[in-house]
Amino acid sequence: MTDIGLGRSRVDRDRLLRLLQDYGVHLGVAVLLLVNIAFTPHFLSAENFRTQAVQVAPVLIVALGMALAIGSEGVDLSVGSVMALSTSLLSLYLGYGMWIALIVAVLGGVAVGVANGALVAFIGVQPIVATLALMVAGRGLALVLLPQLKDVRDPTMASLGSGDVLGVPYLVLIAAALALLVAFVVRRTTFGRQLLAIGDSRPAAKLAGLPVRRVLILVYVCSGALAAIAGVLATARLTASDPTSLGTLMELSAITAVVVGGTPLSGGRVRVGGTVAGAVLIQLLTATLIKHDLPPSWTQIAQAVVIILAVYAARERGRR
Amino acid sequence: MKPNTFLRRTSGRTAPGTLLAVGLAATLALTASGCAKSEDGDSGSGDKSAAEGDAGQVVSSPGAGDRKTCVIGDYGAEKLDLKSATVGFSQSEKEANPFRIAETASIKAEADRRGVRLLTANAQSQFSKQISDVQDLIAKGADLLVIAPLNSDGWEPVLRQAKAKHIPIVTIDREINAAPCKDYVSFIGSDFVEQGRRAADRMIAATGGKGEVAILLGAAGNNVTTDRTKGFEERIKEKAPDLKVVFKQTGEFAREKGQQVTEQLIQSKPGIDGIYAENDEMGLGAVGALKGAGKKAGDIKIVTIDGTRNAVRGIVDGWIDGVVESNPRFGPLAFKTLDTFTKGGKVDQDIVIEDSAYTKDNAESDLGKAY
Amino acid sequence: MPALPVRSAEVLSVAGLSKTFPGVRALDGVDFTARAGEVHALIGENGAGKSTLIKVLTGVYRPDPPTAAGTGVLTYDGSEVEFATPLEAQHAGISTIYQEVNLVPLMSVARNLFLGREPRGRLGLIDFRRMHREADTALRGLGMRVDVRRPLRELGVGAQQMVALARAVSVEARVVIMDEPTSSLEPREVATLFGVIRMLRERGIAVIYVSHRLDELYEVCDTVTVLRDGKAVHTGPIAALDQLRLVSLMLGREIGDVREEGLTKFSGGHDAEAEPVLRAAELTVRHLLRSVSLTVRPGEVVGLGGLLGSGRSETAKAIAGALPPDSGRVVVAGVPVRTGSTPAAIRAGVSLLPEDRKAEGIVPGLSVRENIALAALPGLSRFGLVDEARVDRVVDTFMKRLHIKASGPHQKVGELSGGNQQKVLLARWLAMNPKVLLLDEPTRGIDVGAKAEVQKLIDELAGDGLGVLLISSDMEELIEGSDRVVVLKDGAVVEELGGDAVTEDRLLRAIAAAPAAPTHSPSAAPSDSPDARDAPGDDQAPGDDHD
Repeated sequence: MTDIGLGRSRVDRDRLLRLLQDYGVHLGVAVLLLVNIAFTPHFLSAENFRTQAVQVAPVLIVALGMALAIGSEGVDLSVGSVMALSTSLLSLYLGYGMWIALIVAVLGGVAVGVANGALVAFIGVQPIVATLALMVAGRGLALVLLPQLKDVRDPTMASLGSGDVLGVPYLVLIAAALALLVAFVVRRTTFGRQLLAIGDSRPAAKLAGLPVRRVLILVYVCSGALAAIAGVLATARLTASDPTSLGTLMELSAITAVVVGGTPLSGGRVRVGGTVAGAVLIQLLTATLIKHDLPPSWTQIAQAVVIILAVYAARERGRR
Repeated sequence: MKPNTFLRRTSGRTAPGTLLAVGLAATLALTASGCAKSEDGDSGSGDKSAAEGDAGQVVSSPGAGDRKTCVIGDYGAEKLDLKSATVGFSQSEKEANPFRIAETASIKAEADRRGVRLLTANAQSQFSKQISDVQDLIAKGADLLVIAPLNSDGWEPVLRQAKAKHIPIVTIDREINAAPCKDYVSFIGSDFVEQGRRAADRMIAATGGKGEVAILLGAAGNNVTTDRTKGFEERIKEKAPDLKVVFKQTGEFAREKGQQVTEQLIQSKPGIDGIYAENDEMGLGAVGALKGAGKKAGDIKIVTIDGTRNAVRGIVDGWIDGVVESNPRFGPLAFKTLDTFTKGGKVDQDIVIEDSAYTKDNAESDLGKAY
Repeated sequence: MPALPVRSAEVLSVAGLSKTFPGVRALDGVDFTARAGEVHALIGENGAGKSTLIKVLTGVYRPDPPTAAGTGVLTYDGSEVEFATPLEAQHAGISTIYQEVNLVPLMSVARNLFLGREPRGRLGLIDFRRMHREADTALRGLGMRVDVRRPLRELGVGAQQMVALARAVSVEARVVIMDEPTSSLEPREVATLFGVIRMLRERGIAVIYVSHRLDELYEVCDTVTVLRDGKAVHTGPIAALDQLRLVSLMLGREIGDVREEGLTKFSGGHDAEAEPVLRAAELTVRHLLRSVSLTVRPGEVVGLGGLLGSGRSETAKAIAGALPPDSGRVVVAGVPVRTGSTPAAIRAGVSLLPEDRKAEGIVPGLSVRENIALAALPGLSRFGLVDEARVDRVVDTFMKRLHIKASGPHQKVGELSGGNQQKVLLARWLAMNPKVLLLDEPTRGIDVGAKAEVQKLIDELAGDGLGVLLISSDMEELIEGSDRVVVLKDGAVVEELGGDAVTEDRLLRAIAAAPAAPTHSPSAAPSDSPDARDAPGDDQAPGDDHD
């Protein structure tokens, strides 16, 4: 309402920021691809793309759940610990066969999600605090269950981690399928619509009679289940359960992917395509720095710069 | 969608507690180890090997002339009989990796063997907890202390307390910044720089001293990382100028990270001849990456440090060329030092242990020694 | 404005004060004077400019630059001043007590009292013994006996407010401003507060008292200034005005004015003999509602009258499940509804168009389409999947029927005009086929054309057999739109006007009438009521010919 007399430049800048927030991540991916094709030896090969896709798959799966949590104006810090918990459970139950172990591992993630959701929806704890509690507790529990790294010898697990269909690794297929599923849920289901409404304006959603608590619990259950699936896949790829280090700092990577992908932290919006691109962008960034043997601390700095840019674009736009 | 009646009904007053309880209970129920059933296999469990392995560590070069020594009179304590004494042991990190597991098991086994009463505590990687752990041990009546310090600094208050009670202290695997034979008796540990040098020797032998090698660094800002890198690079430069270090990236001492970094490495530098991993886990991650990329055992030479059983088995399988041991079995040497010292004998202030190594020649026969 | 005899020294005054915000003139040439030893009431309806005036006086806002000599200037203690910050005003001796207590809940009562000016002993350390002693004395002086060492949060809201008051008084204030101080107090605490205000008056402190509770004003105030639309429309001794006159000044309506018909788009006169579709009985919410009962029949528009703070919005929210009542029942079409649950109320057919459209109504980031379909979504879905074709049909129907102007169903609601936002919300509820519509200020802040459209729509909906409960500060809208008007005052129903009695005169008189039950129990404050009894108009019967 204060736009009167502010002139064209403001409007143009607004549009630019909007474009930057919505499509900046795709631009970033394109630029990184071009830079690598030009300067990184052996970049343009099927094996290389396969490697990047396989490495990004677990991060992406976690980020999909994170996007739902952030879309509901929350956040889920417990995802890394859920990965650790799921790898511990998987290892403990593998004696019954892969499928049972897999189900138990995912149920572990669901249980953490229910606890997160209950804290947020019923007790009214801030998502950041509630999930922080489960982040600490989850990793602790994972280490009680399995105090140290343990090899996984199950051949089905190993083939889940390294097998492929027509050259596309299972991990990549599963991540792609989950991305499509989450996009579908956000766009086409009542749950998805209600989630966005709650994230955008909780009071309005409440007065409109939406089942706010049920939706919030479901959001954290989804996030927990997706993180657990990511934990299972990472375990299959490593052919080992490593609850000490699996998923450490995963919450940060996931949040970065989501935010860089244009999903605002203020909720009300979930950009699945952007999240995929955000995860790929970070993967490419890390790969570029490693391949050129730049000091590891640069990776962190580069990631920080990308996050700041993304948050800046979102913030400036939000100011209008 | 017909609304889920279960959730709807729970939107009443009692729901929050119930739901939270359901979530937590489910988590716990899943984890009740009573119904868990893991894969069969002998991997990972270090307790057995620690107890039945070799007799412990050997001092690297005993009796060398210029070593500083310590006797009980200098330290200001009184002689006592180790058999009737109580020893307190403070472990720094959770026993969540083979090294720590073997270290604690070795101390316990040696105490058992000698019939000494042992009190133990674990600081769970929190330094403040370790300080209070040691204070507790003193309060519980420990006559002697063995400490695996988490930090080198910050020990003054505890040392002063121990001093007041004339309690001899031996630190293992990491030094503390204080005066030996005054604030504590001796330090028993590995020489990480030397471990790096020996890894370089193995790498030079495996590659013939020519070609390009990569280093998988440990966690940044860790003195083990710094020392193992320094020793390796110095020795390569000095002995094999034709062997170039062309890649140095951190694998953070973790298998998954080691695997991911190696995957990037072998695509951008397919001609790499060797990989030096600063711990076994990263080395095993590298093996995983090579397998995934369709390489064959021996295509790329891998040298690692630590001596865990999985890595030594890697030598037997032909994927790993050499493992330099970092011996965690401090029990025998620590107790021997305390025994000598409390009887009034002379002990070295700085005891560097001899780490053995595993190669194709001894891997199979010595597999049982690995932890 | 009559010239006032000079009773006592002017402490704080403004002349010709204006304050403009982008697009809004919040204050327009206001004259206001606070005198030593005088309790000055400041009243006005929503948006009249009360809070803006207070914020200018306390340095939160800067007034507009003077347009002519001597205008727009703040005079304090005989000289012109400019407060750059609230802190400056505070240091100068102007203390403000807000509705929400702004103290530190975890600190002790004594610490709060002396926050920032703790008595220091040697070495500059806080002298706790002295502080506790002085705090105790100060609070005893206000008739409070508490352990000053306890954390503040352990006290009740009323007691906390007394601490805030004690703090204000003990900082050597010369002006004390109280903004709705009694809104969360128990009757006994109100009596204590009034005692303190009288004490302040005796000490020669100027008190500025803001309240919606008119009866209170007669109890403690000497002078009253009525603000309306940013102007001071009246200043004078409160004893010279009866409540009816006060209300008509606030609302800008004169008794006996010839009312022009047809100012609104209501056709009026839905007759209703049917069984009530909504029956609310004895709804009670602590501090907000006292046993409010009302009925709405199908096809009937029932207005809720009353001043700001009388409990109109709270009544609507309690019926809609958004405000859990302490007691009371809601029955819709003969079926009791679980109170305190919005989904339950919605399922029963009750829909609320909330007063704060932007914060509680629309979901600004979502499209027109999603906003319309929001509440009805479960019904428009199968197995949790949204049936997009059905949603499109519903959205299309209502966008056409309500003439919603948007670039299309996919435009964000946040980008629409207020009137269209309101229509989107109406569409959201109509898509649910409600039995009862609760409309809280449905036409506030929307332009004239849209207002007429919304009014016409309400009329039509009632014609279709819906029960409508209408809350409006717009007198014409309320009177012409309603078949009956239930008048609220201080959270209780004071009168119900039906048929020919729905006139402005009757409405004003009802609002000005004494409350159904006293706000403060007489037993708690036996000596405090004479002021109130002396006030003319207090015993004014609704039918009395006044002018």
